[in-house]
Amino acid sequence: MSTPTTSPLPAGASRGTRRPAGPRPLAGRLWDDRWIYLFLLPTAILYTLYTLWPIAASYWYSLLDWNGFSRDRAFVGLANYRAALDDPLFWQAFRQTFLFMVVTVPIRVALALAAAVALNNPRLPFATLFRTALFLPVVTTTAIVGVVMGFIFDPVGGPVNLLLLRAGLVERAVNFLGDSDSALWTVMGVHVWKWLGVTLVYWLAALQTVSEDVYEAARVDGANGWRVFRDITLPLLKPFTVIIVLLTAVDTLQVFDLVLTMTNGGPFFSTEVVETYIYRQAFAATIPRLGYASALAVIFGLATLLLALGQAGGLRWARRAREAG
Amino acid sequence: MADGRDGITRRDLIRVAGGTAAGLAGATLAGPVAGAAPAARQDEVVIRWWDQFQPLEALHRSIWDRYTETHPNVQVEYTVYNPSEMGQALQLAFSSRQMPDVHSLAGVSVPVPRLVADGWFTPLARGEEIRQRLPAGSLLDGITVFGGQVYSFPLFSFRQYTSCNWFNRELMEGAGVDPEVGPQTWDEFRQAAAAVTDGGGGQIFGWIQGIQFTDRLAVHVDELAQMAGALTSGGIDLTTGQYAHGTDPYVQALEFLVSLQQDGYLFPASSSLDARTARARWATGAAGMFLDGPWNVGVIQGEFSEFLDKVGIAPIPVANPQTPTFVHAVPPVGQLWVSSQSANAPIAEEILLELTTPEYYVGLAERMDQPPLDLTAVDRAEVHPTYRRAVALFQERVRLAPSPVVKNPAVADVLAEMAEVHPNLGEIAQGAFSGDVTDYRAALTEYAGKLSAERERAIGVVQGRGGQVSLDDWVFPNWDPAQDYTDAFYQPAGSGTPAAQ
Amino acid sequence: MSALANLRPRRRPGRRPRLGVWVQVAVLAGICALWVYPFLWLVSASLKGQLEVFTAGLDLVPEAWRWDNYGRAWDDAGFDGYLINSLIVTLGTVAIVVVRCALAGYVIARYRFVGKRPVVAILVATLFVPVGYTIIPVVELSDQLGLLNSRLGMILALSGGGQVAAVLLYAGYFSRIPRDLEDAAVMDGAGFLQVFRGVMLPLAGPVTATVSVLTFLAAWNNFFVPLVFTFSRPELRTLSVGMLAFRGEQSTDWSGLAAAATISLLPVVLLFAFLQRYFIEGVAGAVKS
Repeated sequence: MSTPTTSPLPAGASRGTRRPAGPRPLAGRLWDDRWIYLFLLPTAILYTLYTLWPIAASYWYSLLDWNGFSRDRAFVGLANYRAALDDPLFWQAFRQTFLFMVVTVPIRVALALAAAVALNNPRLPFATLFRTALFLPVVTTTAIVGVVMGFIFDPVGGPVNLLLLRAGLVERAVNFLGDSDSALWTVMGVHVWKWLGVTLVYWLAALQTVSEDVYEAARVDGANGWRVFRDITLPLLKPFTVIIVLLTAVDTLQVFDLVLTMTNGGPFFSTEVVETYIYRQAFAATIPRLGYASALAVIFGLATLLLALGQAGGLRWARRAREAG
Repeated sequence: MADGRDGITRRDLIRVAGGTAAGLAGATLAGPVAGAAPAARQDEVVIRWWDQFQPLEALHRSIWDRYTETHPNVQVEYTVYNPSEMGQALQLAFSSRQMPDVHSLAGVSVPVPRLVADGWFTPLARGEEIRQRLPAGSLLDGITVFGGQVYSFPLFSFRQYTSCNWFNRELMEGAGVDPEVGPQTWDEFRQAAAAVTDGGGGQIFGWIQGIQFTDRLAVHVDELAQMAGALTSGGIDLTTGQYAHGTDPYVQALEFLVSLQQDGYLFPASSSLDARTARARWATGAAGMFLDGPWNVGVIQGEFSEFLDKVGIAPIPVANPQTPTFVHAVPPVGQLWVSSQSANAPIAEEILLELTTPEYYVGLAERMDQPPLDLTAVDRAEVHPTYRRAVALFQERVRLAPSPVVKNPAVADVLAEMAEVHPNLGEIAQGAFSGDVTDYRAALTEYAGKLSAERERAIGVVQGRGGQVSLDDWVFPNWDPAQDYTDAFYQPAGSGTPAAQ
Repeated sequence: MSALANLRPRRRPGRRPRLGVWVQVAVLAGICALWVYPFLWLVSASLKGQLEVFTAGLDLVPEAWRWDNYGRAWDDAGFDGYLINSLIVTLGTVAIVVVRCALAGYVIARYRFVGKRPVVAILVATLFVPVGYTIIPVVELSDQLGLLNSRLGMILALSGGGQVAAVLLYAGYFSRIPRDLEDAAVMDGAGFLQVFRGVMLPLAGPVTATVSVLTFLAAWNNFFVPLVFTFSRPELRTLSVGMLAFRGEQSTDWSGLAAAATISLLPVVLLFAFLQRYFIEGVAGAVKS
């Protein structure tokens, strides 16, 4: 490494990084950092218009009795929220969504990491082919996935059942998608299969920040594969882990298409998730209740936010406790 | 809301000032449009047309082409939708004032009178001419006629049901069932299902159904309940006005269907199939019988023509052959509507008028979708024998039900006010198949009770707004379930049995 | 620009693979077979007859190769007209998303500035809001802005909604790039913009590839935005809207749908295969010198 770690102040606006000591007038600071704000500008504009404003609008809708079709939107205050509180089907969907998240996110993150580490090896033959193969389910049309999975999990002669029966693991064929005890787990499995490729790509990108030299050095020291992974790769990837877990968890909210084609929320609501339930309220109901749907979305958004904050707080507390101890 | 109205006014202004006829991009709005547009619009007319009638596309295209020949400046821009996506598309199009000129109401379950009141449609200027062309009694107040004006008209006959027993002739014959007749009763249905299953070696089953599609499942349960003696329309007993889901016929219908599964006659994957995939699996010969509407044979002809020769049909099975029963159908609704946002309503209407001709009905019959409004066209049409048979079966077994909305249009306000109740009939039925619902009667009774309470609440709300509506509007003392409840029966009480018969 | 010259990613010359590697290959090959099977089934369904899609079950080889499905798919989905729209809209969206997310991720990762905390907080807070139903306000807004019925409107709506993921990915990546590289460039006289364009952005190749592929996929398949934004100008529709033609009220043209899906997925698969090289040539190669 040839350059010194402490360098003279860079020219221009990147002064923002290492601000001279002592308070400076706000206007001056803003002007110095003008490049920074310029860089944020496109995101600020587009994000405000197409994400923040619609979210704000949905908060407003959640206070209305509105079917989305007619012009009269009656203001009903918190009535939608009160109705949501005693809507058992919503809370069932809510629980199932979190179960979905809690089960699939760790599996996806871990499996994808394992695959990424294997595929990141520049000496692995056919790596390109393997990477593409693992990514293919991501692009495969969901409607078609629904049909194929119907055959794969078919209770009569489907390969999964044949395998289980032959291995003696079950006595009778399992109706994977038709039984309310197994349907959600089956959809989870298909979800992991379909979206593993996305998490894999995240990890592959993250792995590019780890230098080959580190591995070489470790190998010279005689460390084996697992120890290299545990002691070197994993710590280096730590900052990405949080982001990748977060992004994978967000992906879980997009199970909508898959649930609709595979089970349509059934049997008897056992695979209903928040997204499908909201969709039904907003668009597919006899009388669409856009206001109510918005209230449900707001509740769900807040709940996930609290969860994320709680997790972040917990992590920070754990770190502090460790440092103190 | 005020802001909404402001927005619309502003948009209206833009429309007037700039002549932003649908079809001009925002980007090209700036200069040349002002003033020139109206003239240009008269030259080139694009009628935008949205519906879900994919099987009728070729038929409709031939009509549009013929119209375009005589009116070279008119073009029809057609989009076919899936019902579920269409509802959302209409919702978005209406609020952004981009409604197509002609559209159906697939995926929109808001009661039509409410949409009329919201100003969705343009009444048909030549409504009386249309009334003359249609079979008598096709247009009803509160359904297609509002405030004395005709808004739409039915394309299809009300005389149809969704639980025709379509079967695989080969499999039925192999199981010792006469494919010319087919099972007539629930017991015969069960015997046939058993026989096909027994001969199927664990690969072929007696019955297949799309249990995943709860809305359709609800229709089957409802129709079968009527075959067990329920005198209902939409689950309401029209002799008492009460929700009847908790009564014997519904419980029996559900028990009958689920018992077929318990006995092992139901194609096991049914629980994760919808109507489309269930039909496709049926057409592969995986199961003997499949309950579906008249369009089944049309879809088979269009998509799975190899299977067409094996298709047989029997009527919806009855619980008890001794008691005569009927499927009660709601009055014929309008399928296509001219939007109030259409700038070319007269032209749109003129094209719609082409859908009232005898040739059109024959063409409709030949698509073998829903039966045409004029059922006599089926005799003149070239159709598969099972389709002809289906239509004949409907004549025997389907009767026009009384309609509370026709009796009192304010009923529509109540329906619009009512919130959904879950689990509903289809969901309960699905739960029965999956084993989540074990006490059918309790679940169905609870459902009916919740519906009654919700209706009562809604009636109260509508009355509070000054609406004249009561539970009596759901009661029809002069109803003879064996007869069509035609126009004349709606005469004010006291005038006795109508003379028209 | 000596420091920049050092930034070329490079790979070590490969040694001969060992036995352990071949075991890995065998295991991966098995897993991948499971993974690609449904895609192969999709391709094979696109060459089967309607009924055969269901009779053949899990068989992949069609009885007779029905190439006519592709002809029908091409016509019904409107490929000849809609393909160009799909390409314009998707590429436009990818370009905007990459640029705006890279810019935002860069300053968030590497600079402190007034208002940084609220910006990050808002981004994370909105990450979990279900956005499926927010199409209504988006349409109202675009209507007010006069952007309905234009490709530009579609591109802006697609590139403006969400994409917090992309910002976070860029931020995470940029934060891991060693300061030395930046400082070296600065010593050579590079300004803020040059540092970003000449040093940082090229190093973020893996993230750019990731964001491009995922954004491409999302924009390419998005249904409601292109549907709503073309109500009055159907000639601007994209392929995903054209796919409507395969599903009617009672039936689905499965083999037609499969054929159309196969054609329309090809660009995404090719893009992924092409961008792969960025997944193995990252910042790591540039750091050592």
